[in-house]
Amino acid sequence: MPWSELERMFLVSGFSLLDRSGDRGLLPRNEKRETRKRGGASAAIVAVLLLLLLVSAPSAEEKQLSIYGPQMSYSLPVSEHNKQEYIALLAALEPFGNVSAGVDGEKWKLSFNNLEAEFRRDSNRGKVAGRRFGLPAPFVLEGNRGLVPLRALPGILGLMLATKTEYHEAARRLFLGGAATHFTTDVREGGLSVNFSAPVNPLISTEPGRLKMTFTRDPVVSSAYILRLENPLVSAITFSENNGRAELVVQGRVPLLAQFAAGGKTIDLVPAPSQAQSAPPAAAPGTATAAVSVPPPPTLQSLAAKPPFVVMLDAGHGGDDRGALLSETLAEKAVTLALARRLRSELQSYGLSAVMSRDADVTVPVEQRAAMADAARVTVYVSLHAASLGRGVRVYTAMINSASAKPGGFVPWDAAQAGYVLSSRALADIVKAELGKHEIPSSKLSAPVKPLNNVAAAAIAIEIAPSGADVGSVNAAGYQQRIATAVAEAIVVGRARVEAER
Amino acid sequence: MTRALTIATGLLLAAVLGMGAYLYILRRNEQAGARNLPDTRPISAPVAGPPSRVTFYLAYDDPGVVRAQEASIALPADPAQRGREILHALVGEYVKRPSAHELPGGADVKDVFLVTGDTAVVDTTPAFAEGHRSGVFVETLTVASLVKTLTANLPGVTRVKILVDGKERETLAGHADLECFYDVVTVEQLLEQLR
Ligand SMILES: [Zn+2]
Repeated sequence: MPWSELERMFLVSGFSLLDRSGDRGLLPRNEKRETRKRGGASAAIVAVLLLLLLVSAPSAEEKQLSIYGPQMSYSLPVSEHNKQEYIALLAALEPFGNVSAGVDGEKWKLSFNNLEAEFRRDSNRGKVAGRRFGLPAPFVLEGNRGLVPLRALPGILGLMLATKTEYHEAARRLFLGGAATHFTTDVREGGLSVNFSAPVNPLISTEPGRLKMTFTRDPVVSSAYILRLENPLVSAITFSENNGRAELVVQGRVPLLAQFAAGGKTIDLVPAPSQAQSAPPAAAPGTATAAVSVPPPPTLQSLAAKPPFVVMLDAGHGGDDRGALLSETLAEKAVTLALARRLRSELQSYGLSAVMSRDADVTVPVEQRAAMADAARVTVYVSLHAASLGRGVRVYTAMINSASAKPGGFVPWDAAQAGYVLSSRALADIVKAELGKHEIPSSKLSAPVKPLNNVAAAAIAIEIAPSGADVGSVNAAGYQQRIATAVAEAIVVGRARVEAER
Repeated sequence: MTRALTIATGLLLAAVLGMGAYLYILRRNEQAGARNLPDTRPISAPVAGPPSRVTFYLAYDDPGVVRAQEASIALPADPAQRGREILHALVGEYVKRPSAHELPGGADVKDVFLVTGDTAVVDTTPAFAEGHRSGVFVETLTVASLVKTLTANLPGVTRVKILVDGKERETLAGHADLECFYDVVTVEQLLEQLR
C-alpha cells in the first residue's frame, strides 16, 4: 500500500464529548485524584514540555486568507494596521500571471498583464483597471509592498481578473469564478460517506470522540450547520469555516477510521478495528484496507494553539417557532434574524468571525443551538430576542448560583455555563456600558433563558424592546443598527477579558 | 443416589412452596396497605384553618419589578395544601382584569407537592403556559413571582420545579426554562437586580 494511502487513514478513539450527562455518575474529583497522584508529577512535566514545544512552534492561528480559483488555491498571511486587516496586493495576484509593482513618490503602481492598479500612501482613493476605486481604509505602503484593506480585495480581484467573486468575510475565504466544492453526507448503518463534487485532500486530525477534516486548499462550501444523528456510529456532523479554512467535524460514538475512495471524491468513515485486534477489518471491494494509527494523546490536542475567537449569533426562534407576536404583522423570529445579520456585519467590520445558528426562517431546536455553540467552540455566544414589554434593551446572563459553582467543583452538563459565568457577567456589563454610550437605555439581569445554562462559553442573551411607544420600532433599521453597533463594540472591547477566562 | 435425590427434590419443593406462600402474604399485605391509603387523604376539599399571614411577591410589568405584599388568608394546615392555596391566590391576582402582570384566563396552580424536605413541585394548568405571553422578561417575572412566593411561605423549601398539566415542559412560553429546578438563592439574586 502506498504511504499516501496509509497517511490518509486515522482513528478516532474514545467517546462523544457531547455525552456529558454521563459525567453525573462519576466519582467526585477528589476520589479520582487519589488514584492519579503518582502519575501527576510526570504528567505535569510532560505537559510543560508540550507547552514549550507548542509555544516555540510557529502559531497555527496566524490570520490567513484563502483564495480559491477555478484552477488553483492558495493562502496568504493577513496583517493588521490600525485595527484593520490588510493584504499584500501583489502576492494576491501573483498566481494569476505576470505582475510587477513599483513606488513613485507617494504613489504605488501595479501592473498585471495589461491592466494597472494605482494607490497612494494613506489615501482611500485609487484606480483599478482604469476605474476609480475607493478603499474602506487607507492604503498602506510598507517599503515597496502595497497593502490594501482585506475587505477591498474581492472588488480589486474581480476587476483585475474580470471574474465573479464570492467572499466569506467571517472565514476569510475568497472564491473566484464560481469555484466551489459541494458535498453530501450519506449515513448508513455501517458507517458514513461524505461525497464531494470534486476530489478533496483535507488534513484529517483526531481527538477522542471526534474526527476533524480541515480543508485549506479545497473550496468546500456549505452553510454552517450541525446534523444530529441517531446512527450507532456517528452522533453528529458539523460544518464550519474560519480563518481561511473549512472544517467538517464528525462526532463518533465508536472509534472511526477515514478512508478515501472514488479518487478522493469520497471519504468513508467506518468503525475502526479494536486496537487489540490484529487483523484488518473487512473492507468493501475497491476500497483500501485499513491501517491503524494510534491517535495523539488528548493532551496534545487540548494544549494546541489557542482556538480562534468566534462569536455565535443565535437569532431566537425561527420556522415553526414564531416567538412572540409583537404586533399583528410582526413576529419576533423576523426581528431576531434581522438583528443577528446586522450584528454579524458589524462584527465582521472589526475582522471578527461570527457564525449564525440560523440565517433563514428555519426551525432550530433550542438544545441544538447550545450544542452548535459548543461544537464550534465559540468564545462568545449571543442569544437574540425581541419583546413588546418595556423600553430599550435587556441584557441577560444565566441564572446560576455562583456560590455553588465552585472552581474544580462537579459540573453536570446542564451547568456547562457555570465555569464561564464570571466572563458572561463581565461581558454583559460591557454591553450595557456600550449601549449607554449610544444612548440606548438598558438593564442587566440574570434570567432563566434557554439555553444559556448549556453553553460552554461567555454567554449572554439580549432582548430588545421598543425604543418608544411604537412596538414596530424593534424592527426599525436605525434602532437595530445602533444596538448592533453597540453590542459589536462591546464584544471587541470585552474580547481580552473573555479570552483571559477561557 | 435416588434416595439422596428424592430428599434434595423434596427440600427444594418445600422451599419453593414456602417462598410462594411468603410472596402471597407480602402481596396481600401490600394490597391491604394500598386499600388503606385513601383513608389518609382528605375526602372533602381541605378545610380552611384560621387566617395566616402570607407574603406575596407580586410582579409588575411596569416598571418591571417584583414587590413583596403582606396579606392574611385562611389556609389549611398541611404545608403542600398551604402552598397550593397561596399560589392559587397569587395567580388569581394575575388572572384578574386589570392586572399589573396579566396571566391568561384559566391559568392556575393545580397542585403543590413536597418531594423532599427542600424541594417543591408546582403543577399548573395547561392555560398557565399555553396562553402565557412570550418574552424573556415577562416569563421571568412569572417564574420569579411563583418561586419566591412559595419559598417565602413554606419554611425549608428552597428549590422549586414547575410542571404544566403534570408534565415537564421545555419552556414557559419560548424562553423561561421549565426543565430546571429553581433555586431560591438565584431567584433572590434576580429580585435584587430588579430593584
Ligand atoms: Zn424570544
